[in-house]
Amino acid sequence: MSGKNKLLIVDDNDDIRSTFYEFFNSLGYEVKTAGDGLTALKLLKDKPNFFDCLITDLVMPNISGLGLIAIVKKEFPDIKIIAMTGYGDHPGALASEVKADSVFFKPVELINIENKVSELINPNNDKQ
Amino acid sequence: MTTPLIGVSKSILKIKELINHVANTCLNVLITGETGVGKEVVAQNLYAESSRSSKSFVKINCAALPETLLESELYGYEKGAFTGAHKKRPGKFQTADKGVLFLDEIGDMPMPLQSKMLHVLQSGEFSPLGSDQEFKTDVWVIAATNHNLEESMRKKIFREDLFYRLNIIKIEIPPLRERKEDIPSLIEYYFRLYQSEYPDNLGTRPDSDILAKLCNYSWPGNVRQLQNCIKKQMILKSWEKIFEELPKEHPEIVSQFTDDSQQNGSSHYTKSGFQSDRTRIISEFVDLSTSSDKLFEDISLKKIKKLASDKVEKEVITFVLEKVGWNRSRASKILKISYKTLLYKMNEFKVHPPVK
Repeated sequence: MSGKNKLLIVDDNDDIRSTFYEFFNSLGYEVKTAGDGLTALKLLKDKPNFFDCLITDLVMPNISGLGLIAIVKKEFPDIKIIAMTGYGDHPGALASEVKADSVFFKPVELINIENKVSELINPNNDKQ
Repeated sequence: MTTPLIGVSKSILKIKELINHVANTCLNVLITGETGVGKEVVAQNLYAESSRSSKSFVKINCAALPETLLESELYGYEKGAFTGAHKKRPGKFQTADKGVLFLDEIGDMPMPLQSKMLHVLQSGEFSPLGSDQEFKTDVWVIAATNHNLEESMRKKIFREDLFYRLNIIKIEIPPLRERKEDIPSLIEYYFRLYQSEYPDNLGTRPDSDILAKLCNYSWPGNVRQLQNCIKKQMILKSWEKIFEELPKEHPEIVSQFTDDSQQNGSSHYTKSGFQSDRTRIISEFVDLSTSSDKLFEDISLKKIKKLASDKVEKEVITFVLEKVGWNRSRASKILKISYKTLLYKMNEFKVHPPVK
């Protein structure tokens, strides 16, 4: 087991996925990506105790981000969840309802997301 | 018995996998796809694989009922809630408690009812008409539509908040023409089914030429149309006749049937001698065998006009629907009336798709 923090990035947009992958990878995270909710759910079920944090888009084919968040909260309660949305208020409000730990509105600043990730994963480490 | 989801295409396998992963989550599901692709079959498979399979599966068609009736069907009413409410009646939200509520044709739900639906989905509470008491309900909502709800939201005829609340799990079923590899297994399935249902009828399995023809057809009415063809074949015992009766491929539909109707129309008029047939035509709408006093009393141009136009409308609607494999949204476009008007008229004239 490496000490790297493990992230699962889920977005149906290829560019966003690869940008996030590059960014978090360069910061030393171990990153996996998925293009829809079902693929993400299968990754999570394959490696039940692997991921520390899920970063997911909300509007996606098959299992939406909202569905994914609800399932993860129930089946993998230790995984922290960050939701991202670009579709106005409705999905965002729903994301809080299904208890995402944090909701970001697109366009997002990667550095802000990284701050939130490390805050959620290591709540006791004050960032310098 | 639940109809299994038949098919070997990538999209059907993916849907099966999705059902398998989400059936126990009880998260709201939205199933989309053209008429006849099997939206209800998917809903029933979700239900059958879920932990709610021992409870009830309650279905309601949101397009088939007028607004007020739909409301009382969904939420029930108290005695005296409105004229005719002689006794209390539970709504579908109550009868589906702990089970599944399948909202078919959700895209046709009138706006005011959409708001009420949103409230129930948010709070899990509803009150029957004429009651000020709120009841808790635990239903798993599976909704289906053949409309493009994104488009409906842009047109402001479908609420965005309701859409996002239903669209938690989205199952999109592609039309049959986009998954032709499913056709042979569907044929085999329905062939066996009808063979066991009608053991005396000796329909024949398609040979490779016929199968190729069946696979190359566009199936505008999707699986339901294919299913009806196989059933018909059991009775007609001729694939040739089946092909003759199939509507022509999509772009030709309009021109083909306008040509037909013109031909039929003119041949009808010349053959029967329009003028001399006057009494025959009139007798379809008025009883001519009574005394002239009574007859003059019975004759009302307004009434006859309505009867005659209803009769023709019914025939035209049935004709078009059959041509497009009962795809109502396509039929409404061809008839140049709204989808709603078509459903209303189908209901009024009792035009129903052939029974499965």
